[in-house]
Amino acid sequence: MTEDLLRELAPQVLGALVRRYGHFDTAEDAVQEALLAAATQWPEEGLPDSPRAWLITVAARRLTDLLRAEQARRRREDAVAARALPEDWRQAPADRPLTASDAASASDSDSDDTLVLLFMCCHPSLSPASQVALTLRAVGGLSTAQIARAFMVPEPTMTRRITRAKQRIKDSGVPFRLPRAAERDRRLGAVLHVLYLIFNEGYASTSGPDLHRAELTAEAIRLARMVRRLLPDDTEVAGLLALMLLTDARRPARTGPDGALIPMAEQDRGLWDAARIAEGVELVTDALPRGTPGPYQLQAAIAALHDEAPTAAETDWPQITALYELLLRIADNPMVALNHAVAVAMARGPQAGLDRLERLGGDDRVSGDHRLHAVRAHLLEMSGDHEGARASYERAAELAMSFPQRRYLRSRAARLAGPGEN
Amino acid sequence: MKYMILSYASQRDYDEMAGKDTGRASWTPEALAAMHEFMTTVNKELTESGELVETRGLAAPVHTRRVGARDGAPYVTDGPYAETQEVLAGYWIVECESFDRATEIAGRLGQCPYPGDLYADAYADIRPLIDSSEDLGF
Repeated sequence: MTEDLLRELAPQVLGALVRRYGHFDTAEDAVQEALLAAATQWPEEGLPDSPRAWLITVAARRLTDLLRAEQARRRREDAVAARALPEDWRQAPADRPLTASDAASASDSDSDDTLVLLFMCCHPSLSPASQVALTLRAVGGLSTAQIARAFMVPEPTMTRRITRAKQRIKDSGVPFRLPRAAERDRRLGAVLHVLYLIFNEGYASTSGPDLHRAELTAEAIRLARMVRRLLPDDTEVAGLLALMLLTDARRPARTGPDGALIPMAEQDRGLWDAARIAEGVELVTDALPRGTPGPYQLQAAIAALHDEAPTAAETDWPQITALYELLLRIADNPMVALNHAVAVAMARGPQAGLDRLERLGGDDRVSGDHRLHAVRAHLLEMSGDHEGARASYERAAELAMSFPQRRYLRSRAARLAGPGEN
Repeated sequence: MKYMILSYASQRDYDEMAGKDTGRASWTPEALAAMHEFMTTVNKELTESGELVETRGLAAPVHTRRVGARDGAPYVTDGPYAETQEVLAGYWIVECESFDRATEIAGRLGQCPYPGDLYADAYADIRPLIDSSEDLGF
């Protein structure tokens, strides 16, 4: 319970500190130390009257200490840390006249702070991997050790990644405020992409022994809910949250007792999380009619069609095919094209799908991806070409990086092997 | 007439008040409470007499940004002060009948209790505020 509260308060406390004192990088360290102090003290001594104020006080004191040490060190080295102000600071943002009263009225909102932090952590000067790590720490309140574990990299590696990311944010001199209106949509796109990556990392697990790292999917959903509270009218935010809920709803049916993957068509739909499906369907149904649907809404709509089908055979494949076509029109994404090929095969027969795969095979972005070969194997199996299917399953297994996926693909291949080979 | 009473402290003084041991006499919770009570009393007196316009304390010197300009572009230096450099730590703006009354108020503030002989050399400055540039004669 303490941990939930701390994670909720973490971005608010960091926001308050950076707004008041600046020093995003050092303030972030100070907040982590305050969170750690709270995690050990609160369960023993009880919750303070205002947990948020307690954290801000402790973190501010720690920030002062850290800055003192930094400045003393710099003075010993006789180095002056002067930085030029970027253009961004010198011109008042076009959408927010910088008057004192305006600044004051905008300064006290915790939710604003959390949003500003999200925009900072997803700054375009950072790589997606750094954006993800920094978001999980500064906004999600996760420790470096937790993040390292989730991404299965050694803790020192993650520490370096986060430290460098913070340094870069500091050097870029981004002021602590929301991006200008003209830039905000593009920057929000980066924020949503980061949440999407966090979710996928947790759900799809590109490497390692555990297929689900529920911690990451749960965190992605929590952060998406938070962004939705901050921007309730944004349809793509709603779409992304819906997509996560509708996908995560199938998690209980996705693996067998031995941890092996079960494809959607063979899953026990009774295990799907009905509450998540209902929430996701409502979100996407509400968002879709409001303007041209973006990619997250379209993917959510596709997930909803799967989730709402009482049996695999009753899936509305023509409708799903049409939605993938809309998606392809927005972005030339080989994974979308792959899924589109599956939908085409299901709606019009395996050969139509295989024809589309043929065109995709020349695309370097997917030709070495296990999913292309897994789909080809599946469609060949549907068409009755068992030898071709077996070879493709084997090839897919070689390329797959997660153990359960590999095991699943090998078992499909083995099933198709002729009796003489068993 | 309005006057500004300015008091000074170094980063080291702030550290000591935050409970850090710097090898000099240290601020115990009791000493801090006594100071707090004294300040509250004096500020209340000044409010009641109608003389207090505003009083504020400043965050520790370590939280200072200095802005200059180089080749026409503004630049920022963080934490420009040395540990023991005394810098503005707080101020009172009082509106009272005379410089002497403002001096009296500053003297009263100077009676604030502190541990040991930490601030035996402490002082405050009193500066008259001007109403318009004409007061300056230019």
